[in-house]
Order: sequence, then structure tokens, then C-alpha cells
Amino acid sequence: MKKLIIKSILYVFLILIVLEGLVRVFHLGKDTPTRFLDEYKVEKWKPNQNGFSVTGNRRQNFSEYHINTTGYNSYREFTPTKDKIEVALVGDSFIEGFHQNYYNSIGKKIENAIPEIEVYEYGYAGYDFADQLHLIHSYASQFDLIDHVILGIKFSNDLTRAEYRVVNSRLALESPINKMLKKSKLIVYCKSIGVLDPPQELMYRFLNMLKPKKKTVSIDDVEILRIKKENEEKYLANFKSLISKYGYDKKRFTLLLDSRITSPLFLSYLEKNEFNYIDFSASFETSDRSTTLIYDRHWNNHGRDIIAKDITQYLRDTNFVKN
Amino acid sequence: MLFNSLDFFIFLPVVFVLYWFVFYKKNQVQNLFILIASYIFYGLWDWRFLFLILASTVVDFFIGQTIHANDSTSKRKVWLWVSVIFNIGLLGFFKYYNFFIGSWVDFLSVFGYELKSTWTLQIILPVGISFYTFQTMSYSLDIYYKRLTPTKNFIAFATFVSFFPQLVAGPIERASNLLSQITTKRIFNYTQCTEGLRLILWGLFKKVVIADSIAPIVDDIFLNYNDYSASTLILGVSLFSFQVYGDFSGYSDIAIGTAKLFGIELMSNFKFPTFSRNVAEYWQRWHVSLSTWFRHYVYIPLGGSRVSKLKSVRNIIIIFLVSGFWHGANWTFIVWGAIHAVLYIPVFLMGRNRIYMNTVVAENRWFPSLTEISQILLTFLLVTFSRVFFRSESITDAFGFLEQIYVNFSYETYQHPLGYRMIDYFILLGLFILYEFRIRRDERAPFKFKSRIVRFVAYTLVILGMLLFFDDNIDRSFIYFQF
Repeated sequence: MKKLIIKSILYVFLILIVLEGLVRVFHLGKDTPTRFLDEYKVEKWKPNQNGFSVTGNRRQNFSEYHINTTGYNSYREFTPTKDKIEVALVGDSFIEGFHQNYYNSIGKKIENAIPEIEVYEYGYAGYDFADQLHLIHSYASQFDLIDHVILGIKFSNDLTRAEYRVVNSRLALESPINKMLKKSKLIVYCKSIGVLDPPQELMYRFLNMLKPKKKTVSIDDVEILRIKKENEEKYLANFKSLISKYGYDKKRFTLLLDSRITSPLFLSYLEKNEFNYIDFSASFETSDRSTTLIYDRHWNNHGRDIIAKDITQYLRDTNFVKN
Repeated sequence: MLFNSLDFFIFLPVVFVLYWFVFYKKNQVQNLFILIASYIFYGLWDWRFLFLILASTVVDFFIGQTIHANDSTSKRKVWLWVSVIFNIGLLGFFKYYNFFIGSWVDFLSVFGYELKSTWTLQIILPVGISFYTFQTMSYSLDIYYKRLTPTKNFIAFATFVSFFPQLVAGPIERASNLLSQITTKRIFNYTQCTEGLRLILWGLFKKVVIADSIAPIVDDIFLNYNDYSASTLILGVSLFSFQVYGDFSGYSDIAIGTAKLFGIELMSNFKFPTFSRNVAEYWQRWHVSLSTWFRHYVYIPLGGSRVSKLKSVRNIIIIFLVSGFWHGANWTFIVWGAIHAVLYIPVFLMGRNRIYMNTVVAENRWFPSLTEISQILLTFLLVTFSRVFFRSESITDAFGFLEQIYVNFSYETYQHPLGYRMIDYFILLGLFILYEFRIRRDERAPFKFKSRIVRFVAYTLVILGMLLFFDDNIDRSFIYFQF
């Protein structure tokens, strides 16, 4: 029996070491850049990091990222001046684009279409509207030099806060334990493909057993509508609060949104108050191909092409650049 | 509790350690512990159906003793029928009740009587019922035929019926093999344990890498068969052949491996059926425990092949139809059984049904001959064709699937529904077939290499394969659990 246990442990240990090596050699696990909080309490990536983002097993999606000196994933440095024409794209993971090669981003596609401009992509996974306006507000001296700012907004996700606060849950990903775990590419890979989900679920199941049980309340359709309306009003109020707190230049700023998933209340508010926005819903709807990746909801290359075209068209239509 | 779940990977080591460190001293204690563990194993799925297992156990335990105690053939027969009716009754109610009601309503509708059945019930099929009822019936049948003396040890008998490694999907054991081991004190055997661990690893590979990874492709093709051309439909049903093999033989390997950890040897259930040279050989290698059961308890009592050719053919038709019906309460399974009967009968009439019984393909050679390759391909083709019925939801779907192959006879490139590269699966299956061919002589020793380093490399590659093909979004339950 002793022999069986010792040999089993030895085999498991050796196999894990070999697997760690194989995962590294074939680059199956993703690299994760380090994040930090700068002097303005803006959360961003530590500058000058390179790596590969991997999605799914067998490298279903494999793309290279490059964090520039400003702390965002982009092939170019952000050096706004009065002489050049610059456009900033500010948003979440859709703008950040770890799921694409950094040299084939939405910004690069716009630059290809309009060579005289420089596009700066301030994308960061999880950024909501509060994060975006706080960033622009904190780096006002830089953003004042940028000719046009486009802010990606998803109504149901990005307006849940009325003011900016540091998101500690994201920064907790930089805890010593997480950093240590991230060093093992085998763990990173197993986590990304869901192998480690069952132990986590088991732990939660166990912890939930210890907690007192909450009564589940069933909600009828009327109640669902009431909550939906209440949320829409709350999100609109948050929008107003955020623009009043951090400022919003209606002439230079444009929202990028999908009207199919945006509240009519919010859309009518934008129109009444002359906020500019780019609505890409029609372009996505008329697309003959899928615009999102198969394994997650981010835009695929075709989707990014459409977004870049819509932005390019908008910049031309508004005479921001020459036709 | 699924063999490929975390729950089982916690359950198994705990039971293993307690079994060999705490409850190892007496055979009766070993059995009681395994019995409790088995009931927990099953109860974690649905504790209410434990009463069915218990009922089946109690009934056959006492009937077995009563048959043995009676010298009168007629009384023995009566008690045997009580056992058969009770077990078939359980199966009939939980598995076939709705099927019979539905078929009756359909039958009447042919004559213009439109009935809305209020008799159909919302019954959950108790997992493993087809397996343990057959096992308990075999006990009574063996006693009736005087091949077995009944045990007076109820705990041992209950352990035989509910032994957790094979409780939910076999192998369907006969008391002469399993009960005799249960009534003997088990002693820890290092070699047996390592063999068990190797079989568990190989079984997991077949389940996670072969069966589960193919499942989304097969599901997609069978669900949307109207949208696909012949090439994709043929691909779908061919892949289903590998899926069902990986799934069920993977389960059986884990069951046999787990039993070995507790000092019990279960019978082999799969002997590389992919390399069968005719349909008869296929049935000697596919789901062996079920084929053996039907041969012993249906085919031979009907006269087997010792009667006239015509009667033998009748017997073959009966066992294949019953075998099909055993798989599920659906006409698709009955047609599937009928197709196999049609495929088997010519082999039987030509006297070629037993010629490959004791040999493997490419016996004493590295490579199969061209004749063998063509025989294997033909058998695979025929068996795969029958699987259209096995996999389809209804007879209409099965014929629709076949019609679509005929109507849309063209080639198209198939895209994986989850966006994976299809070439990965072709390479995987190619390597799998080559490896299985390499180990084809012994289904119980998947890592039979002299060199320890080669064995280590094989273990590592198998685990790497699992990591490469694991997908959290795939339903990981075993196909044969529904039977």
C-alpha cells in the first residue's frame, strides 16, 4: 500500500512538471499583464508589457498584445499634439482587444482608412462609463490635445455607478496568491478552460451550506417591468451625475453604442440634449456573417471591420476629416 | 455521481483508503462498507430509487433460496417466473410504460381513433435499472438451472447487486463471477491496483477526449440533418460510432479499474470492436456482458444453434430485437436490433459466426492484411449505418437522415459548431485507432510497455490529451446511463 501511495504521488508530481513544460512550450496558456493604480487612481496596465492572449483549449484564439508606455494595448504610443489629428477610443475589453493582434485593432483599421489621423485606444477590460470619464478627467491635459474622443458604452453594464471609485475586486487579481498562481502556466491554462471550475463550485457549495438559506422570491412580469424601468431611470441619472462631475465636451465627444440593447429612454435623452452617438446596430444587423467570436461575445475581425467602418464614416460625415 | 466528476474523485480515494485501512479485517465488514458506499454513490443521484434496488435485492435473495429449496420443477419454475415478472415489471413500469401507451395510441390512430392519452406518466428512468435488474434475474436463473448455489449472506448478495463501480451501466455480472469474489476476503494486491489505476486513466481518456469532444459535432449534425449534405451526415454518424464506443467502453474501463482497486475482477465489456472482421465478431467484442447475458438466458434456452436452421434464425431475430428493445423504449432501437439481426443471419448461415472467436486481427503480425482491412471497413460501415437508428430521436428522423444522404449527395466542408478546427479531431481519431490497434491483444492492459519511461510518456500524453480536448460546456453524462 505504501509503495502504491508513494509511487502515485511521485508520478503525479512528475507528470505535472512535464505538463507545465508542455503548456509553456506550446504556449497553451494565456499571458496576463500586470495591472496597477496610478497616481490619479486610474487603473491600467503596467507600461511596456508584451505577451500573448490565448482563448479556449488548443489555442482556439491566439493573439499578441503590447502594452504601451501609457498603459494600454496599442501598437503606437499616445503623444497628442496640437499639430496632428488624433482620435481617442475609450472603452472596455471590446476596445482593449486582447482577442486580436494589437497591430490589427479597430484603431489601426481606422488609421488604414484615414491615414492622416492617429487613433489612441484607451481600452481596459471592465471599464464602465465612470472609469472612462474619470480617466479623461484625470488626464485632461492630454485629452484636451486629442481632437475627438469616442466612448464605447453598453447601457445595461456601464452606467451602474454615479461616481468613480476604485474597483478593488479587479485589483485583488494582483494579490500575492494570484500572482503566484499566475506563474504556473498549467494552472492558468486549466483555469481558462474550466478544469478548475468544479473544485471552485464545490467550495462555494460547501460555503453556501454553512450560510443561512435565503427565501427565494418569485417575480412576476409586472415586477420585472417595474425593476427594468427603475434601472433605466437610475442609469440615466448616473449618466447625468457622471457628466456633471467629470465634464463632457459635447462637441468633441461621441458615444459608440448599439441601439438594439440601449434603453429608448436613454436614446431619446441623448437626442433631445444633442449628444452625438454612433449607432452600429444597423451595420451589425445587415451583416451576412457573424460579428462576434464563436467562443465569446467579443467582436471578431469582421465585427471590428464594421465598427472601424462606422467610425470612419462618422468622422467623414461630420467633416472631422476630409472625405 | 458520474465517474468523470469531481465528486467521484473525492469519493473514490476516501472509500479506497477507508476500505483498505479501516474496514479490511473481515470479509463481512468489507462487504458492509462497500454496500454502504454503493448506496451513497447511488443515493447522491436520487435516494428515492434506492428502494427499487433494495426491493430487487430482497425479492431475488429470497426467491433464489426458495428455488434452491424446492425439488419440484413446477414450483421452481413458478418462483423463477415470480422473479422474472417482478424484475421485468420494474423495468416495464419505469422504462417502457409510456412507450406502450404511446404506441397503443399511435396504433389506434391508424384506424382513425384519435385518443388523447391521459395515462402517460411523468416517470424518471432510474439510472442503472436495466443493468441491476438483469443482474438479479441472472442470479435466480442460474439457481433455477442449478448452475449456482444461493448465498445465505444477505449483505454479500446486496453488495453483488449494488456494487458501485458497475451499478449504473454494467458490466452486467453473473453471480458465479462476482458473488464468489464478494464472499471471499479481499487482500490488497499492488499489481491489481496499478492495473486498475491504468484502466481508470485510459477510460477517462476515452470518455473525455474521444466521446465528449466529438459529442457537439454529432449533436449538431443529428439535430440539423436537414441542413447538411451527405458528406457531413456520413461524417456525423461515423463520429457517433466513435463517440458511443469511447463513452461506453470508457465507462466500462473505469468500472473495471475501480473494481480492481477493491480487489474485484469484473468481466471485460469491450474487446476492441472497431477491429471486428464481421458482424458476428463485432458482437463478441461489443458490450460483451449484455451479449453473454442474452446468449445464456435467452438464446440457449430457446435452443440456440442446436435446433434447425430456421429455428436458429428465429432465435437470432428474437435476441437482437430484445437486445434493441433493452436499449430504450423507442422504435428506433427495435429497428436497430432488427438491422443487426439482418446483418448477422447471413454470417451465421455461412457458418462464419464463430471463426474469429479466439483470434485478433493481424494475429502475430504488425499490420493487417488488405483482406482484413476491407473486412474491418465493411463491418464498420454496416454497424455505423445501423447507428443512424440508434442515435436518431425517432423513426421519422432516422429515415429523414437517410433520405437526406440520398437527396443531397454532395460534399461540403463542415465547420465545428464551437469554432474548433476539424483537423484536430481527424488527427485525434487517427492516433486513437493506431494506439488501440497497438494494444488490441489485451483490453485490460492499455499501457503494456516494458519500459517505464515509455509508460510515463504515455500517461503524460493521455493527460495532456484530456487537457487539450476538455470543454467545460459539454454535457459530460454517459450515453448508456439513459438505458
